[in-house]
Amino acid sequence: MKYMAIIYGNKALWESFAPDVIGEAIASVNAFNVRYAESGELLGAYGLGDELTAKTVRVRDGVPAVTDGPYLEAKEFVSSFFLLDCDSEARALEVVADYPFASHSAVEVWPVLHEAGTEM
Amino acid sequence: MSSRGEIEDLLRELAPQVLGALLRRHGALDVCEDAVQEALLSAARDWPAEGLPDHPRAWLITVANRRLIDLVRSESARRRREERILLGAPPAESLQELGEDGSAGRDDTLVLLLLCCHPALTPPSQIALTLRAVGGLTTAEIASAFFVPESTMAQRISRAKQTIREAGAAFSMPPPEELDQRLRAAMHVLYLVFNEGYTTTSGADIHRADLTREAIRLARELHNLRPNDSEVAGLLALLILTEARRPARTTPTGDLIALADQDRNCWDRDLIREGVDRVSEALASGPLGLYQLQAAIAAVHDEAASADDTDWPEVLALYETLERIAPNPMATISRAVAAGMVLGPGAGLDLLATIDTDTRIAKHYLLYAVRGHLLEMAGHPEEAAFSFESAARRTASIPEKRYLAARALRLRSGSDRSTSV
Repeated sequence: MKYMAIIYGNKALWESFAPDVIGEAIASVNAFNVRYAESGELLGAYGLGDELTAKTVRVRDGVPAVTDGPYLEAKEFVSSFFLLDCDSEARALEVVADYPFASHSAVEVWPVLHEAGTEM
Repeated sequence: MSSRGEIEDLLRELAPQVLGALLRRHGALDVCEDAVQEALLSAARDWPAEGLPDHPRAWLITVANRRLIDLVRSESARRRREERILLGAPPAESLQELGEDGSAGRDDTLVLLLLCCHPALTPPSQIALTLRAVGGLTTAEIASAFFVPESTMAQRISRAKQTIREAGAAFSMPPPEELDQRLRAAMHVLYLVFNEGYTTTSGADIHRADLTREAIRLARELHNLRPNDSEVAGLLALLILTEARRPARTTPTGDLIALADQDRNCWDRDLIREGVDRVSEALASGPLGLYQLQAAIAAVHDEAASADDTDWPEVLALYETLERIAPNPMATISRAVAAGMVLGPGAGLDLLATIDTDTRIAKHYLLYAVRGHLLEMAGHPEEAAFSFESAARRTASIPEKRYLAARALRLRSGSDRSTSV
């Protein structure tokens, strides 16, 4: 089963980390990435740009209109995500609990829909 | 002149035997496996143009053995291992002789399958390693079958080999007291490979259809190796009887068709005949087991000329036996469907009520789907629609979701019409 883990945050949250803490945080996230890539469970991890760099596309009457900023109005925005392929939901939650940011704030976990039926 | 398909079939069959021959001499799964993969690639490249060698098996063993020596030599940091392996290795000529001894190859395939399903590995790793080492699939093929990046699958396979090495597993038949448990693990892996491949989509996902074929091929192989094991025969029958219905299981656009609505003319009669024969034989020889029971249930469905002709009392009796042998909420859900057909929807709903609070199943979509089905039979379209909607929201499978949402919608529009009249 595949799961998507999403990390949310905002400028205030990211700026609340002291510079020396950031170095440690990056190192611990790298260690997480290496550990679970090696186990074959982490399919990919991606950090995203600032919400100021996000764009929203709408096509009306065949004409695309591009506006600055994210689609959802929110206080926090998606800042990074990673994809897992785990044995079970319980295992996915265990891996996510090991993600350093889960100890600071929260990580959201969504099952990824798949094409295969389960009936046999 | 052999066709590409025939060559591929031959290579798949020989792959575990060649690996077995190397492992018997050298022991180290990781390098041996890499060497065999390279030999298979050479054969797949050369044989279609140059024709089959006189002794394909010996050819592969010789080439794989040369590659193995190259691989070991190239690891200069591991000279000690080189000495150990090369000093212990026989000259290539004696390997060729070994290569023509067919019986050793058959046993090697079984030992290899059991090694790949080693208890130190997680099921996804067991599956990946089995498909590569026993099935002879490339890492890229396995990765595409499971929709993961090739690098992830390569990582998973190499970790699996490392885990086996660290667990100190030897290339030999497990001791008798472990054999049965190891066989069950191997059967479970084949069952999972089949399930993974038993997809609802057609066309674009031919790789996944290959997984069901591969699972059946390996189950046949396992049955040839353990002809007197009634559960192995039961597993093979179950896979065959399930595969027989696949052509009728989805619409051309990939929508699911329920068993009752399938066009039974599309079912594969030859497979059904074979599956029914195999399960009958297995049940007669015993001892009884879960795969045989599931195969027997599949056989009852497969043999019914129409949904209405299904021998539901027989299905119900089989599910009752299944639950007695191995009580679990999934079997109860299936029994509720059969009870609904034999005793009426109320009996099925009562059965579901007994597992409502079972934490293993409480949020499972099938519980909601079957409840919806029984409520519809009982003439409660509103509640049935609500159950189908709850089920649709809970499944992660896109075709199941579409199917369940469509059933809910049909009930809702039906009841809308009746209220507006």
